[in-house]
Amino acid sequence: MQDNMIKTENLCILDKKFAVINPCKMCQPMGAVQALLGVKGAMPIIHGSQGCSTYMRFQLCRHFREPINVSSTSMSEGTVVYGGEGNLLKALSTIWKEYNPEIIGVTSSCLTETIGDDMALIIKKFKNSHPDEDLPPIVPINTPSYSGSHVDGYDKAVKSLVENLAHPEGKNKKINIIPGMISSGDVAEIKNMLDELNVGSIFLTDNSESLNAPLNDDVAFLPDEGAEVEEIRDSANSIATISLSKHADSAAMFLQKKYGIKSISGPLPVGIRNTDQFIGYITKITGTKIPKSIEKDRGIMIDAIVDAHPYNYDREVAIYGDPDVVTGMARFICELGMIPSVVCTGTQSSRFVQDMENIAEENDFSPVILAGRDLYDLHQQIKCMDLELLIGNSYGARIAKSEDIPLLRMGFPVYDRLGAQRISILGYKAGIRMVDIITNTILENYYDESGHEFTNFNEISC
Amino acid sequence: MMLSTGSYSSKCMQKEMGHIQNNKPFNNLFLHNKTAGADEIQIDDSIIKTLGERKKHMCIKKGNDSSPACNKASIPGTVTQRSCVYGGARVVLMPVTDAIHLVHGPIGCAACTWDIRGSRSSDDDLYKSGFSTNLEEKDIVFGGENKLLETIIELNKLYNPAAIFVYSTCVVGLIGDDLKSVAKKASELTKCRVIPVQSEGFRAVNKSLGHQLACDAMLDYLIGSGEVKNPSKYDMNIVGEFNVAGDLWDIKPLFKNIGVNVLCAITGDSKVEDIAAAHMAKLNVVQCQKSSNYLAARMEEKYGIPFLKVNFFGIEETSNSLRNVAKFFHDPGMIKKTEKLIESEIWRIRAEISKYREKLTGKKVAVYVGGNKAWSLIRAFEELGMEVIMTGTQNGLPEDYERIRETVKDGTLVVDDANSMELARLLKKYKPDLIVSGAKEKYLSLKLGIPFCDFNHDRISSFAGFQGFINFAKEVDRAVSSPVWNLTPKKCSGVKENAG
Repeated sequence: MQDNMIKTENLCILDKKFAVINPCKMCQPMGAVQALLGVKGAMPIIHGSQGCSTYMRFQLCRHFREPINVSSTSMSEGTVVYGGEGNLLKALSTIWKEYNPEIIGVTSSCLTETIGDDMALIIKKFKNSHPDEDLPPIVPINTPSYSGSHVDGYDKAVKSLVENLAHPEGKNKKINIIPGMISSGDVAEIKNMLDELNVGSIFLTDNSESLNAPLNDDVAFLPDEGAEVEEIRDSANSIATISLSKHADSAAMFLQKKYGIKSISGPLPVGIRNTDQFIGYITKITGTKIPKSIEKDRGIMIDAIVDAHPYNYDREVAIYGDPDVVTGMARFICELGMIPSVVCTGTQSSRFVQDMENIAEENDFSPVILAGRDLYDLHQQIKCMDLELLIGNSYGARIAKSEDIPLLRMGFPVYDRLGAQRISILGYKAGIRMVDIITNTILENYYDESGHEFTNFNEISC
Repeated sequence: MMLSTGSYSSKCMQKEMGHIQNNKPFNNLFLHNKTAGADEIQIDDSIIKTLGERKKHMCIKKGNDSSPACNKASIPGTVTQRSCVYGGARVVLMPVTDAIHLVHGPIGCAACTWDIRGSRSSDDDLYKSGFSTNLEEKDIVFGGENKLLETIIELNKLYNPAAIFVYSTCVVGLIGDDLKSVAKKASELTKCRVIPVQSEGFRAVNKSLGHQLACDAMLDYLIGSGEVKNPSKYDMNIVGEFNVAGDLWDIKPLFKNIGVNVLCAITGDSKVEDIAAAHMAKLNVVQCQKSSNYLAARMEEKYGIPFLKVNFFGIEETSNSLRNVAKFFHDPGMIKKTEKLIESEIWRIRAEISKYREKLTGKKVAVYVGGNKAWSLIRAFEELGMEVIMTGTQNGLPEDYERIRETVKDGTLVVDDANSMELARLLKKYKPDLIVSGAKEKYLSLKLGIPFCDFNHDRISSFAGFQGFINFAKEVDRAVSSPVWNLTPKKCSGVKENAG
């Protein structure tokens, strides 16, 4: 088979200016839908063409391996001409009657943003036409697909949920946690840690069970687990909000500004230092003591890292994906003694660049930082380096094969391996497993069956 | 012509028919079909409860006056399984292996759809990369034409591809970018074939228009512009064959064996220059009649190439398709060779197939797919001794439902544009032993404990021709007979009951 992947003459110069080749980001509605899938009884609806919801469902189904329902306002030529109001009104009525949701999240698309549909106004009209009915909350989320990325879409969805629902009423002694786009397994890791710390929490939102559900011969049409509408309402009464992903902190900023709830943004608790920081915030805010169990997990993780260090030291790694996952993994990779020589995210973000520069300074190396770039650019960089491990989503599999570098799959989407919803990297417990997985990948690929490191004999002159 | 070889399948079919007639869960519900014209038929609540305006989109096949309403806009708010016009265009064109498929639009349209076609290539892999103009806010305001032109020039410089297909998406139609004139200009500047596909997602209620637009793009810009070096009188194209999981590679050798030269498959495992010369064929055969009848009809009109509808799923359908091609070429030698091939192939696979038949006989199947498979799979399942109790498509046209009506037995439930809630209700109520569908329905059925077989982009082995039929039987058996189903709650009681 002809390998057509990289055709640039001068590999080390990123000279591609216009085309995006093999994207490393998706569009805003994709992120918004993922946030809504963590709300119990929520029906996400994309106000746009059918393809938007269908292709997103396809991607989400093959990643989470769960049935995913996202409805569509099914815009077509006839309705585009007159604006989408009729379709959205009809859709709201259908969803309300047919699916009986606890909440409806309406995300826009490039189509309906461009024709200028005012979703908030249309929703108001719908409510006004049903004055005596007990309607579920309907939340508009403006997610024009032509700006930002899925990362921004997630952020906007959580912000809209909070803006529309949060209601101050006393104090609840809980901490709001905004996970960002992380796996069900990772949300569960954080929940478990908070349980151990004996700290009450509200997750905005919570996909830990809605997208990793047991088989029970029945199918939940809407998420039957997840953040409850009442919890989102109660988020205005918490002690603080921690946004695990820095790029998902708009709702926290809103709560801080409007209700004076302290906002803390990231970093994603991956690895020892970032998890320490997270636990530090919690203990500082709540005054709780760190339990022995957590101390022990931390100790075991450091033990694992020390056990692994001879195999990992100085090996160069490329990491790509969503900005917070990449910076989180980069810092963790440094803790293992490896060097994240190339990092890439499709999202334009000065925060990402700044974070990576800080990590580089802290660890004294100079990585290639690609922000707002694509997998073609990443591949081009990889070609002119001597890397030994790739970390990122399934879309990098062809690069891995073409360059003969092992790929450790994580992030979104992971569709060519099982268990994407359970891949976890956050906290100490998942960290311990991750140290083992990374190191075993190195052992598998660079050491023989008796434990000797492969040597390139051609380079040795006898 | 129908020699002993033909009787293998027809005999077993007869056997199955008796069986099928008795086992239809819907047989006793015929009365519920109202007797008025096809459009007036409404499905009864006893079969499925659904929205009033959806009731006429489902019916139980009985004689000749039962087809569901179709080709209507989906009800806004339902979880439709349909996609968009761009989706329709890309499924037809994206298997062209040595072309760049550039999606002109915001990133999402390309990001959600690159490298998901499942069609295989024997050589070039350019089609597997995802290309986008990544339209951003400023492009929406000032227009995306310049960005498109620059992108095409850049891509041509990087890859020197055989062609660049440019797909327009919803927002491009709204901001009024002139795709055709940009393509023309880019083509002049780069000397590369730049082919515009006017596939704005919202242009129709389903993706069928996209299929047609993709065919138009090939007709207007490609077919007729190249030539075959050594034409022969047995040159043929296979239209609507996309080489998903390598289907084409199980069909081509059959034709080689009987002396037919496959010039080009449109578009599975194809190269741009093959399609450019496709007009020199003496015959077109159409496999996916949903997407590609239009192309064959237009090629007949334009180049006088006759076409035959074929079907390579199942033994009888494959055999008849080969026979019809041989018959078309009026070559007694070829006809003889064909019968010999069919006989030896059926002989070759019979032992393995009967092994699966034994395990699968009497199992009930539901089919819900996007294209021609809603009818083209029916016989194949019958050959495995299975009975199709439900079939349907997301985007069928009246002629599709006519084909379905001709193919399925009385008592089969036929559904149009069933949304995910309706599918869940039907599966829960009628509990088929297998559902054949695509990725979006996969986990819905598995969660319900219903075995699933992917017959869409994600399937893992070729299902076409005689060899493909073995793979198909194996795949169906793997889904249906696995012991994992003994662990599901309905089969295996909970932890407490099992203790001790």
